[in-house]
Amino acid sequence: MTPGPFRFEGREVQVLDGDTVASALFRAGVRTFSRSLKAHRRRGLYCGTGECPNCSVTVDGIPGVRSCITPAAAGMRVERGRGWPSADHDLLHVADLAHPLMPVGFYLKTFIRPRFAWRMAERVIRRGTGSGPLPLDTGTPRTVARYARCETIVVGAGIAGLTAALEAAETGERVLLCDEFAIGSRLAPGPTLDAVRALEQRVRATPAIEILERHAALGLFDGPTVPLADSAELVQVRADRVVVATGATESHQLFPGNDLPGVWLGRAASAMAALHGVPVGRRVVVVASTTEGLEHLRALVAAGARVVAALVPAAFVDEVPHETEAIVDGELVEARGHGRLRSVIVHEVGERRRIACDALVLSTGLGPRDELARMAVNEPIRLVGDAALVADEPGLGGGYLCLCEDVTLHDAEQARAEGFRSAEILKRYTTATMGPCKGAMCSLALACFARGRADAADARPDARPTVRPPLRPVALHALAASVHEVIEKRTGLHDTHVAAGATLGWSSGWKRPIFYADPTEEYHAVRERVGLMDVGTLGRFLIAGRDATTLAGAVFAGRVDDLAPGRSRYVLALDEGGYVVDDGLLCALEGGSYLLTSTSGGAERMDARLREWAERLGLHVHVLDRTSELGAILVAGPRARDLVGALTEDPIDAASLPYPGHRELTVAGVACRAIRSGFVGELAFELHHPRSNGPRLWSSLQQAGRDMGVSPFGLEALELLRLEKGHVYLGQDTLPDDTPAKLGLARAVDMTKPWFVGKAALERLAELPLTRRLAGLLFEGAADGAGLRGAPLTAGAAVVGRVTSAERSPALDRAIGLGWIRRGRDGFPNELRAGDAVARIVPTPFYDPEDTRVRG
Amino acid sequence: MAELRTWAPTVTSVLASAEACDRVGDLPGACRVSPGEVALVGDVSEAAVAAVVVRLDPDAVVLDVSDGWGAHTLDGPGSRPAFACLSELELPIEGSLVGEVARVGARILVDRDRIDLLVPSMVSAHVRERIETDCAELLR
Repeated sequence: MTPGPFRFEGREVQVLDGDTVASALFRAGVRTFSRSLKAHRRRGLYCGTGECPNCSVTVDGIPGVRSCITPAAAGMRVERGRGWPSADHDLLHVADLAHPLMPVGFYLKTFIRPRFAWRMAERVIRRGTGSGPLPLDTGTPRTVARYARCETIVVGAGIAGLTAALEAAETGERVLLCDEFAIGSRLAPGPTLDAVRALEQRVRATPAIEILERHAALGLFDGPTVPLADSAELVQVRADRVVVATGATESHQLFPGNDLPGVWLGRAASAMAALHGVPVGRRVVVVASTTEGLEHLRALVAAGARVVAALVPAAFVDEVPHETEAIVDGELVEARGHGRLRSVIVHEVGERRRIACDALVLSTGLGPRDELARMAVNEPIRLVGDAALVADEPGLGGGYLCLCEDVTLHDAEQARAEGFRSAEILKRYTTATMGPCKGAMCSLALACFARGRADAADARPDARPTVRPPLRPVALHALAASVHEVIEKRTGLHDTHVAAGATLGWSSGWKRPIFYADPTEEYHAVRERVGLMDVGTLGRFLIAGRDATTLAGAVFAGRVDDLAPGRSRYVLALDEGGYVVDDGLLCALEGGSYLLTSTSGGAERMDARLREWAERLGLHVHVLDRTSELGAILVAGPRARDLVGALTEDPIDAASLPYPGHRELTVAGVACRAIRSGFVGELAFELHHPRSNGPRLWSSLQQAGRDMGVSPFGLEALELLRLEKGHVYLGQDTLPDDTPAKLGLARAVDMTKPWFVGKAALERLAELPLTRRLAGLLFEGAADGAGLRGAPLTAGAAVVGRVTSAERSPALDRAIGLGWIRRGRDGFPNELRAGDAVARIVPTPFYDPEDTRVRG
Repeated sequence: MAELRTWAPTVTSVLASAEACDRVGDLPGACRVSPGEVALVGDVSEAAVAAVVVRLDPDAVVLDVSDGWGAHTLDGPGSRPAFACLSELELPIEGSLVGEVARVGARILVDRDRIDLLVPSMVSAHVRERIETDCAELLR
């Protein structure tokens, strides 16, 4: 703890050694710690173990912090989250008065019609509820994730947990012992703490035991895996066995007024008095049905509390301190007070009696904290210590069943009357157990209620509500540890682009130049002179082995067995449903091998497909993913041949390197495979080269092309260039159920082949009319095409399609696009509207339909 | 503490039948990627390896793929705790394995406290950054 005061709603609160935020606030006179979720009832300290929601406050801008288990520190900024204008004087408390008008299931029954009503109501409800605003102006903290492996994980480091850890270590196992607190830190001085300290010493001296304090177990997953979280890290523990030694919580008793500030569970009251030296009240009533309750009674008295009465069983009478009135076998009926506890009503030998008090301390039984075990399906899990106890059933006399969600026993009765009978269904309907405490306080009471009301119609009256992770409130950034990161892929030219001042952006997991200076100028460089683009993001695969042709013939819908070495062909990969999953360029090599280039975003999928089908068909094929190893530079434009020719002595004329085709070249001293491609609609060479030679090759091309007006170009220019050619971007222009026919790519399918993946589906689909297709769109009345992307295409009032790509074409001086359109009663439409613009359906390509420029 | 070094490895990919791969799987620096693939890390004679495997699998591919890989070495007593921040894989005392490290498919060579992580060049910078961020307290 850091010495010094913290700030609480505009004033200073002194912190003493060992204080939690709650103990410091309580010592400073704070009694209302929060307002309840829906009814805005005052809530004070209750469990003292971090289970219930009552003490939740906002600390340093983070809402929902359990103040009873959070060490106080100087300089903290503490506020109460709910309440308007303040938690002490909350006008929204009117919701409590309206509770009878908002029965259980209120939100499921109300504002359903008219539909707009919910949207309005939701805004009001959201403002009036919640745990306080989330900090939106802070950076996202990064939580480190790490993995740990052990034979046995012991969750809980009390006497039972420490003992279990030692026992496992003695058998030679590697043990991981964890607890959400520091060992022994929650115990008041006494025999229990002494025993814990003795065991702790032995555990710390055992090398086979790794100790993780202040790490809360969040759940149990396959493996078994137990994720543990603290403020700085998420530890995924994979173990052979799980020992649950999480102890027990004190029973949450149901009686009218059970949520009033001043009603305490025994452990909280005893810790406040004995650990922090703050009396819980001036006149205290204790209900002690267990030996632990007697200990709490003694601790309170020893700390100087004035315990005016103790309700105890006859067997404990002699243990009650003489200054305290012992009420034998009395029954607690009600707690009374407005906003805070003023008195309790007890039944004593048939007589009803009121006792004035400002603190009521309950220690009436234990419920095992066995949530981890209840999550297990077949995992090897063992409960030890109090976690293995048979639960003491709580009394069900009225009041609040679920403190988190403001669900009363009356609500549960009403839900049952409406036909919701089992604990699980009651939970879902009433939302009891679904708050931040995840049922730690109320799950047992709900189960007891369901069982108590069960009759022959109930199939599983004993079933407890399902437990779901996380068992402890956990920050989203902790849950996202190890999975939230974006893996940035870089080509070998990344540093070159950065040095050139390119504006980089994300594309299929790669960081790529969007443009260098002026994308329009980059476009014109390609159309009129020559441009360079880094296309090292393309997937590249070597397919070798005696069955390589068989595999390519199976995976791709077009014919491949007639492809001679040096030639290449556009190929489509389909799934078994006949839907397009990827496309690429297949280049035949000498010796029956192939080099395949696939889309940048589809490389991993293509790799998996090739390997999967090689295995499924039992082919002798070797597939090598060369994406990372090879760089690639696209040299495109009317002067592309001049530029490449200036740096190579190899022949690259149309006869030596035809379209579509490829060959090995040495360009500027770099060994390359040059592939003629047509994606941008100009004469173009893709120079695939060893990644490490990329910067040298790029620089040589820049230098040699200076007099030709060479310019690098980025994705923005590429988008325009390919759209003018009507080329499809898979993903952007396509839908998951697009067949080649829908995309106008039937030319890439050879239905005369005996078999390929998806052929059977295409045969079936061929019998059905084409109901949707991707079409070229020529817009009239739209100055700028980019604004049309995503716009619905309408025919009259009906939406019959959507624009998937749109740009203003410099070549046509018109806005053009692609979009899918639906067939109407009279066939496919010829003219539609996209907002204010008219969209005429036209064939593609828009630019150089005869491919004259591509063929060069 | 562990020392982090980034270097450019020499990697030769051998794609061949399982039987042929078995023949080179025990070479120093060998990492068995799959039954039909072995990655050889370090200077090896491509021709000599090819001669061995082609005898058993005439279609075998032996290729220098060094440009495709980046290497990061964690060395020292803190190397294993540092590795645990990056991967859930359980490391042997010595040997090789493949699996996910920093959410990237990696080939891993282990020699006691020295762990060589081979990752595709395109994500090598990401892995380096991730090691530096998540293992900062364990690095020298």
